[in-house]
Amino acid sequence: MSDIVLKGVSKHYGSVRAVDDISFEAAAGSFLVLLGPSGCGKSTALRLIAGLEEPTAGRVLIAGRDVTRDPPSQRHVSMVFQSYALFPHLDVGENIVFGLKVRRVAAAERHRRLERVAELVGLDGLLDRRPAQLSGGQRQRVALARAIIAENAVCLMDEPLSNLDAQLRHEMRVEIRALQQRLGMTVVYVTHDQIEAMSMADRIILLREGRVEQSGEPEALYARPSSAFAARFIGTPPMNILRLAAVDGGAGIRGAANGRLVDGPADALLLGIRPEAIRIVERGGLPAEVVSVDYHGADTVVTTRVGDEPLMLRVSGHFPAGRRGAIRIGWDAAAAHVFDAKTGNRREEFHAFAPPA
Amino acid sequence: MHERRLAHVYGWLLLLPAAVLLVAFTHYPTVATLYDSLFSTATRLRPSTFVGLDNYRALGADPVFWQVVQNNFWFAVGTVPASIALAIAMALWVNGRLPGRALVRMAYFTPTVLPMIAVANIWLFFYTPEIGLLDKLVAAFGGSSHNWLGDPSTVLTCIIAMTIWKEAGFFMIFYLAALQSISPELREAATVEGASRWYYFRRILFPLLMPTTLFVLINALINAFKLVDHLFILTKGGPDNASNLLLYYIYEAAFSFFDTAYAATLTAVLLGFLAVMAVSQFFLFDRRIHYR
Ligand SMILES: Nc1ncnc2c1ncn2[C@@H]1O[C@H](COP(=O)(O)OP(=O)(O)OP(=O)(O)O)[C@@H](O)[C@H]1O
Ligand SMILES: [Mg+2]
Repeated sequence: MSDIVLKGVSKHYGSVRAVDDISFEAAAGSFLVLLGPSGCGKSTALRLIAGLEEPTAGRVLIAGRDVTRDPPSQRHVSMVFQSYALFPHLDVGENIVFGLKVRRVAAAERHRRLERVAELVGLDGLLDRRPAQLSGGQRQRVALARAIIAENAVCLMDEPLSNLDAQLRHEMRVEIRALQQRLGMTVVYVTHDQIEAMSMADRIILLREGRVEQSGEPEALYARPSSAFAARFIGTPPMNILRLAAVDGGAGIRGAANGRLVDGPADALLLGIRPEAIRIVERGGLPAEVVSVDYHGADTVVTTRVGDEPLMLRVSGHFPAGRRGAIRIGWDAAAAHVFDAKTGNRREEFHAFAPPA
Repeated sequence: MHERRLAHVYGWLLLLPAAVLLVAFTHYPTVATLYDSLFSTATRLRPSTFVGLDNYRALGADPVFWQVVQNNFWFAVGTVPASIALAIAMALWVNGRLPGRALVRMAYFTPTVLPMIAVANIWLFFYTPEIGLLDKLVAAFGGSSHNWLGDPSTVLTCIIAMTIWKEAGFFMIFYLAALQSISPELREAATVEGASRWYYFRRILFPLLMPTTLFVLINALINAFKLVDHLFILTKGGPDNASNLLLYYIYEAAFSFFDTAYAATLTAVLLGFLAVMAVSQFFLFDRRIHYR
């Protein structure tokens, strides 16, 4: 088992800072997810670990060894590419054992491992096919098999599921996670899909414009987002971030005639509440105007307007048609988050209050 | 029923212009050549008569013909593999990240766009004894002057060198196009698996370039049997037929000696040869080539 450590790693392309001074650790045998919007530097970070790019600054350590200047072949890592990068002229079996052949592993040993891995990823019976004769999910498995047959302790994956349909993606998520745990691999997994990140990761590194925005366990990122960006990136629908107006003794939602919700300066703060933390109440609470209703089956996302601010809430099941128009909503004080209006950072020193009961 | 017949008529009408051109300029001359090769050449005294395979027998007994065939064989062996290898090497080189690569690509391609006559003139200057570039180089290393194109033992090599120079740049364009359609992720995947550059080339890149190689190979071979214009400028097939190639020999037979029947016979042999080559290549390679 191998741990991965990045220390102050940067990668600049001219004036573009694809990765800008990031540091993190992936514990041996853990599943680390690099999460972030498109263009935030996830792939670049992964390629820096693989050795496909050389960092502008900083150091990369794998299993305690400084590999910053080592070529990819000496890092003993496997990689699954976003487009799978299967060799189109080789059949599935040859694709999988490609690396073993490079390293001159004996034919008998190659054969033994191939059989085992093919069974593991459910490819037995397809070994004679060419990649072009496979479905997307099967190709994905070939790429995965090629990565695990080397029995490297570290496996890097760049959005391996992004080309699959929702059903298959769900299945593969479960399979990859199970495989990682069975083999005890250290996996660094890149995705822009927060659901993938939340469901697979031991630890998430949230990237934004080449920098680490927040890192931690999925529950921590969900429960205590360190910035408005992190708050909005994790969870669907995203957290409501509301602008405030001064009221007696603090701040309330802008444009709404209501009491104090935060005990701080209105123009310097933002109030965040997750849609699933908001409930509809019969009495008390805040008045809200229903704007639109988005039925999802198990639940319904209701978009409302509170004062000047749009606010989404999630109710389970079907939203009763008769309750459109004006409703009243409430939440617990513990469910509210306070962020700085300028920097977006979390501000723990201010307190939030629940709407009046 | 009526409509179907009308569609047929339309179809044939649409085909007609192309078909007329093809028949008039390809099929008819081919058949006419084969037909002519079975007759003697008409002279003022004797009209053309049917002679059966006499022309072919004369061909077999003609030592110049056999020398020309041999020349052409060595010419093909000398130019085809070398120009393909050079084309691949140049394509790999200009496909990489290097400063001013557009310029380098253009430089490699220039020999192809130059008119044949200009090319031949440039090389004529290279090969000129005493004042030519090659002799100057040899002199710089203490060698003595040599009449490169006038010596039967060096003349064919000189033509081969020039042809490689001219063809490689053209073939490079095809390889460059093929290389650019290959995902760079394949190289990265191979690198992560520990493959060296050479291993990657041998096991991945070269097999993926196979369709291009087949195409280029056929073209190179056909070109090897089609060379005529350089010989006009540089050697006229000489000295002593040492640089004479099939097509030039045909030209000589037809327009210098006005032996049209013999020229037709030579042409028939050349055509047959090219046809066999093209067909056998497709059969030989089809099984081993990966077409995506
Ligand atoms: N070779 C390069 N030259 C210049 N800029 C680059 C290069 N590679 C990446 N970049 C830039 O670096 C930034 C990060 O790129 P990267 O590919 O790491 O993004 P990403 O997070 O993987 O995005 P995506 O989710 O779209 O794949 C982008 O702004 C990109 O334009
Ligand atoms: Mg990417």
